[in-house]
Amino acid sequence: MISVNNLRKEFKKVIKDPGLKGAIKALFRPRHEIIAAVDGISFEVDKGEVLGFIGPNGAGKSTVIKMLTGILTPTSGSCTINGKNPTVDRKKYVKEIGVVFGQRTQLWWDLPLVETYTVLKEIYEIEEDRFRERMAFLNDVLELEDFIRSPVRTLSLGQRMRADIAASMLHSPKVLFLDEPTIGLDVVVKDNIRRAITKINKEEQTTVILTTHDISDIELLCDRIVMIDHGKNVYDGSLRELKRNYGQMRELTFEADSASRLTAESFCKGLKLSDDDISIKNDKNVFTIRFNSDSMPVGDMLNYTLSLTRVKDIAVKDADIEEIIRRLYKEGADKSE
Amino acid sequence: MRRAFKIYRILVAQNLKRLMEYKADFLTGAVSFLIDQAIGIAFIFIIFSQIPQLAGFTFEQIVFIYGFSQIPKGLDHLLTDNLWCVGYFIVRKGDFDKYLTRPINPLFHVIAETFQVDAVGELVVGICLMIYSAPSAGLYITPLSVILFVLVIPFSALIYTAIKIATAAVAFWIKSSGFIIQMVYGMNEFAKYPTTIYSNFIKLIVTFIIPFAFTGYYPCLYFLTGENPVFNIGCTVFISIIFLGISLAIWHKGLSAYESAGS
Ligand SMILES: Nc1ncnc2c1ncn2[C@@H]1O[C@H](COP(=O)(O)OP(=O)(O)OP(=O)(O)O)[C@@H](O)[C@H]1O
Ligand SMILES: [Mg+2]
Repeated sequence: MISVNNLRKEFKKVIKDPGLKGAIKALFRPRHEIIAAVDGISFEVDKGEVLGFIGPNGAGKSTVIKMLTGILTPTSGSCTINGKNPTVDRKKYVKEIGVVFGQRTQLWWDLPLVETYTVLKEIYEIEEDRFRERMAFLNDVLELEDFIRSPVRTLSLGQRMRADIAASMLHSPKVLFLDEPTIGLDVVVKDNIRRAITKINKEEQTTVILTTHDISDIELLCDRIVMIDHGKNVYDGSLRELKRNYGQMRELTFEADSASRLTAESFCKGLKLSDDDISIKNDKNVFTIRFNSDSMPVGDMLNYTLSLTRVKDIAVKDADIEEIIRRLYKEGADKSE
Repeated sequence: MRRAFKIYRILVAQNLKRLMEYKADFLTGAVSFLIDQAIGIAFIFIIFSQIPQLAGFTFEQIVFIYGFSQIPKGLDHLLTDNLWCVGYFIVRKGDFDKYLTRPINPLFHVIAETFQVDAVGELVVGICLMIYSAPSAGLYITPLSVILFVLVIPFSALIYTAIKIATAAVAFWIKSSGFIIQMVYGMNEFAKYPTTIYSNFIKLIVTFIIPFAFTGYYPCLYFLTGENPVFNIGCTVFISIIFLGISLAIWHKGLSAYESAGS
């Protein structure tokens, strides 16, 4: 359905020294720096899948979405959706997709909301009956009735977001691209929007690609996540796998008197563990042992550690999904330093 | 084509509704326009109070050229005013995104979105001045010249549109090109007077580089004298098509250079 292959997007940035002097210098001798906002991203999405596309701020998510929706032309690499190339087959292609950028509206600022939908009806050539049916459906899930006669500029953020989402679903797109559709919304409106996404996905097998910084969006909506950072793939798999791969890791933190025997090798040997199952960090005799609780029950680990050394302030932490994601983001940041 | 027309009609209707809401906007626009026109016409009066002829043209003939030049300018102004916004802020703010995600031609979409009623002023002033000056301007009237008169106006308007498209498209590379549109568009002042009063350099520019002379003086030369229809009318049509072609190519290239804005 969607196939993204080694996608890359560079932006040219003019480097300016601060102040007027810098501005003048940049005018006569411009210095450019090329930054790769997206640096070789690949992934596939099947029909009917809901993909959570996540990554820290500035990772390149919006830039990827803009290439997938035909707004930006890739520097290199390719993306095909339903066999179409977004920038080449633009007119035909965009008819099959719906797009929402949570940060900005696509609606006509000065028109009452209803009028916006009638204009879109013409643009997307939706038939009268189908349009009515669709409006009723969207009205029902997104509760547009209260503000459908107000001009778009008077809508609150939550109302506007629902209006934008409805606009993106009006023409029954095959693929829906949602860039931060729940940003800044209260819990009720979030629920509303999630319900609309789930419903349209279940009833029409709409493929959804969604970026968000809200972990519950991912837990509630997404079959699979693709995580990127600094424009590169970091993780691709189901949420369950992510939990399985990283979720069993536990962290044992304590302060020890003597450091001599607390090495990864001695733990591996003593407990018959493999290298992947354990890692040890020592920061001025404060130890952090990360280990896989599947291979080594927490109790056994505690006993063994206590047999080696005397400890102060011992604590065991398990990793929830947010913790896992934080760790992955952090690993990405450390790696790039 | 039928569909494009329908969408255009709907967008324009919405635009007019919006206009009703911003009456003050409309009034200030109209007032500043009237002042502008009054200055232009007063200028001609002042010149002719000093001299009886300008480059071989009488007062009425100059008024006719001035009046004619307002028509293509007004038509373009009426239909494609949103191109200014493309140059000034739509591209810079990343608001061009939405035109690229809709199943109609982005250029058509952005143009169709505004219908600038202010332009009626130019059309009215142009028509009035032509009616006022026509009886004593010694027009060359034949069936052919009447047909060519009607035919040449849309092509002259296209010259304006082409120049605006090309200069607005520069924003795709440099983010904001409002000042460039302003600078180039400002050259249309030269269309109102005979090119023979300018230096050769300026004459060359307004004929072939920024060909505003084809939106006023050259076609009028034919309507006033009947001379050289091949150049005066034929070249107007030819140049407008060439320039439109070039500007569409620039626009198209610009689309793939568009960088949106961070979000
Ligand atoms: N139009 C642009 N011109 C120049 N640089 C840009 C542009 N758009 C994005 N960038 C840069 O590309 C990088 C990726 O930006 P992008 O907006 O894709 O991040 P993101 O993952 O969507 O982040 P966030 O979660 O904060 O929305 C950033 O470093 C940003 O500064
Ligand atoms: Mg973003």
